[in-house]
Amino acid sequence: MSIDTRPASAQQLRAPGPPRRGRPVRRRRSPGNPVAGIGSLIWLVIVLVPLYTLVSASLMRQDEALDGDPLAIPTDPTLENYSFVLDSGFLALIGNTAIVAVATVAIVLVLSVPVAYVAVRTRSRLSSLAFRTFLLGVAIPAQAVIVPLYLMIGKMGLYDTLWAIILPTAAFAMPVAVLVLSGTMRDVSEEMYEAMALDGASPVRMLWQLAVPLSRAGISTVAIFSALQAWNGFLFPLILTQSEEQRVLTLGLFNFMSQFGVNIPAVLAAVVLSVIPIFAVYLVARRALINGLMGVGGK
Amino acid sequence: MRSGIFTQGTRTTRWAAAGAAMVMAGVLAGCGSGSSGGDSGTITAYVYGDDAVKVQQAAVETFNKTSKVKVKLVPVPGVDYVNKLRSAMGSPNAPDVFYNWGGGSIKPYVDSEDLVDLTSTVKNDATLKDGFIPSIMTAGSLDGKIYGVPMRGMQPVMLFYNKALFAEHEIEPPKTWEDLQAAIRTFKAAGITPFALGGAEKWPELMWMEYLLDRIGGPEVFRKIQDGDTDGWGHPAVLKTARTVKELIDQGAFGKNFNSVDYGSGAAPTLLSKGKAAMHLMGSWEYSTQLGKAPEFAKKDLGWTTFPTVAGGVGDPANIVGNPTNYWSVNARTEHKDTAIAFLKTMASKTYAQALVDNGDVPTTSNAASMLSGSPNPQFATDQYEMVQKAPSFTLSWDQALEAQYATPLLTEISKLFAGKTTPEQFVEAMKAAK
Amino acid sequence: MSHHTPVAKRHGDRKAAVGSAGRPPLAWAVPGILFFAVFAIVPLAIAVYLSFTEWDGLNSPTFTGLDNWTRLFNDSEFGQAAWLSLLLTTISWAFQTPVALLLGVWAAGRQRSRAFLSAIFFVPLLLSTTAIAILFRALLDPNFGVIQTIGPWLGIDPNVMGSSTGALLVVAFVGGWQFMPFHTLIYQGGARQIPEVLYQAASIDGAGMVRQFFHITLPQLRHTITTSSILMIVGSLTYFDTVLIMTKGGPGTDTTILPYLMYRTGFQTYDLGYAAAVATALVVVATSISLIMVRLSGFGSMRSTREGM
Repeated sequence: MSIDTRPASAQQLRAPGPPRRGRPVRRRRSPGNPVAGIGSLIWLVIVLVPLYTLVSASLMRQDEALDGDPLAIPTDPTLENYSFVLDSGFLALIGNTAIVAVATVAIVLVLSVPVAYVAVRTRSRLSSLAFRTFLLGVAIPAQAVIVPLYLMIGKMGLYDTLWAIILPTAAFAMPVAVLVLSGTMRDVSEEMYEAMALDGASPVRMLWQLAVPLSRAGISTVAIFSALQAWNGFLFPLILTQSEEQRVLTLGLFNFMSQFGVNIPAVLAAVVLSVIPIFAVYLVARRALINGLMGVGGK
Repeated sequence: MRSGIFTQGTRTTRWAAAGAAMVMAGVLAGCGSGSSGGDSGTITAYVYGDDAVKVQQAAVETFNKTSKVKVKLVPVPGVDYVNKLRSAMGSPNAPDVFYNWGGGSIKPYVDSEDLVDLTSTVKNDATLKDGFIPSIMTAGSLDGKIYGVPMRGMQPVMLFYNKALFAEHEIEPPKTWEDLQAAIRTFKAAGITPFALGGAEKWPELMWMEYLLDRIGGPEVFRKIQDGDTDGWGHPAVLKTARTVKELIDQGAFGKNFNSVDYGSGAAPTLLSKGKAAMHLMGSWEYSTQLGKAPEFAKKDLGWTTFPTVAGGVGDPANIVGNPTNYWSVNARTEHKDTAIAFLKTMASKTYAQALVDNGDVPTTSNAASMLSGSPNPQFATDQYEMVQKAPSFTLSWDQALEAQYATPLLTEISKLFAGKTTPEQFVEAMKAAK
Repeated sequence: MSHHTPVAKRHGDRKAAVGSAGRPPLAWAVPGILFFAVFAIVPLAIAVYLSFTEWDGLNSPTFTGLDNWTRLFNDSEFGQAAWLSLLLTTISWAFQTPVALLLGVWAAGRQRSRAFLSAIFFVPLLLSTTAIAILFRALLDPNFGVIQTIGPWLGIDPNVMGSSTGALLVVAFVGGWQFMPFHTLIYQGGARQIPEVLYQAASIDGAGMVRQFFHITLPQLRHTITTSSILMIVGSLTYFDTVLIMTKGGPGTDTTILPYLMYRTGFQTYDLGYAAAVATALVVVATSISLIMVRLSGFGSMRSTREGM
């Protein structure tokens, strides 16, 4: 996906063909490290045990989970917890959360792409100042502004609406978006723009026909991460919404736990249900996600 | 060309700055709460979201059948209720009618003139005037003005216990402090936690403080504090209370895990119903909670009694603490005041009282006594009613009697005391210093 | 790549190409900047303003000057919260960074298992912090959770959430569980970009695995470490959901970190002016740390790790 800029000598050492298919000719980058190998196995266990319990306990009856051994495989698996959760209006929660996610992604992309493009292609002091502001924006915690946001959203008449969640979430997703997008766009070399300029292209055309297509990876990364942030956001819904109609998944989970917490299987069933939509997207878009993440580290 | 870009940049900056400034100015110019929400044709009623909501839900449905303006009941999960109410009241989407505990819980709204003064409405309406037990009506008023109409049962705090466990260990529920100590020893020896305690939520711990202080020093000690005298925390009975609490904790009366046990999610009640704990000091709503979560246990093995006496204490053993009841209050900014008041009137009706009785509660209506035999557990209902009737004093839960700005530090300090983070002496000092 | 371009038009001559390369007008960036300003920067300014007022959420804020700030600097509770926040951040960083670094570098090398591991490691990120906190709350429930059985095996008291040190470590652990995979992937990406040729040269010179790690891998990952650390530090300074759901700031106040203190003061005690002061303090701390880290690592100058190659 990114252009291989390593010196030719290093490139020749790789076997021809797509590098990620595990062809035996590919040399290992660093010699196998047994310590790290064991470490990753341990970590794998640490990751898997809670996930396993999450699913298995959600299939138990409440009594079995409370009295018996939650780690054992359920002797009498039941889906009653799932129907209990669904009966409590879970699907409406998913609907609301989906709306928030889609709207957030739309706003973030529409606003961040131009900002990143300007930052990358202009050299004025102002644009680098704006860029630095966005960089610092990464460090602004949402909690810092929740009190004034509560005031502002109220004044705007948006309290207890989905917009109260969408707008601040989008705003806070922008710094990372601008960061990632400007990173990807920087890869597009100046010569290409000049070639287009020679053809008489307008700035708009250059954006649409050059920058955007070549930054597809960055754009999908940003889209997915903003969606993830919107889907999993908690603080804004907690403080800025109220009624059941505007409730999103995270808040719904929290309320559910507050009321039925001792019914551990039901609570865990709710958690599983909240993850399924994202998991589905994940299975489809895994590559893009992971590569996008790794791109952040490389810059 | 370079200067062209520069000018363009400056102009853009100017616009951006002006835009931001305008937004800021607009926002700051009109601080303060707006009008109450509710579209034309509906009023919203916030209620504490627990197992008892179904009674209010039924009342709402009945009311909506004959009313042009509909009532929309909004249950707010209990753990968040006070915060959510406050946030909503400070926003343009405030509820028209809302559940509260009277006393300090409505003081901020009274001070900011957000509540309808119901005194004259009640005086002029026979249903409301004679419908409720007078002392209960008074408990919901502030500065002599009535702000709330009772809408739930009476909620004294009682000592619930697991009858099966007591029978198994052949002891009686405790009446005196020695009995209590004996019970603690017996159950600890058997590996059972003597008292279930939902310490994570803090207010269950408060109940212990309330009863102990009342038994040790009498109700006047807290009354002074409630009336505004923070030095009242320096009364020796407060220190003795804190020390007694520490003794209980050190003895293991609450087990070791109480810090992370909830009430609202059902953890503490489940300890009682599953026999992991022998007793549970809790408001009378524990009965309907158990009925909802562990009906078998509630019907067979749930027992109740009064809080024992404390050796050397001056408080009357018949005194109780808890919530006299809960009230509906009306938002002064509502657009449908008449509907709201009409809805409130239904609280005095026999149907509503009967619904409360059927749910295991004891209504605070004047006709309550005659209905108790129809309760799912007539014994429980009658015992409760008599407890309240005979009580020389009924102290309102401290975290509702005091305003939020004192209540939250109070709960924090109590939780620190129970967690062993502060000594009883430090607790007293901290309470005296609370702003 | 560069074979189209005449020699005269190299990167340095960018200024000469200003008009002809169709640079976007600055105005394009304005909507984005304005939106961000309104919903992030303006609230920040208002928070600072509110920190000089007293406000109970129902009436209008009243100006009280430096009252909140004097109170802040004398408040032992604020001191404790700040200390806990720093402690939590340090623990999280010390726990997550070395492990993520090692795992990431290791995972960059191996071929077959890498894709599989990345897939699994990514799953915790899909869960919301809320869901994870709820999951672990259920698992660590001292009366009904898995911890009852596992605790004795590991030699720990099942009531982890109810003990002071335990509670804080649990918060750090849960945060690590969720985000360590994220950082592992970042390091993995960074490690994959390290040119093979450096390692080969070192091997030829006779350097062993350990020396290669310290003299090649770490320096080359400088920017990655900075990015990851900033994200990690700012992230752990703002763990809120986890504390709210798992410990509610307790036992007592042992996990009342700064964000939680702010929430409690603002939305439970309704002392919103003071809460705004706490929030402002939090921002100052977070920004200072970020700036210091950026300075120390030379990130700001955007120097390439491949200088001199």
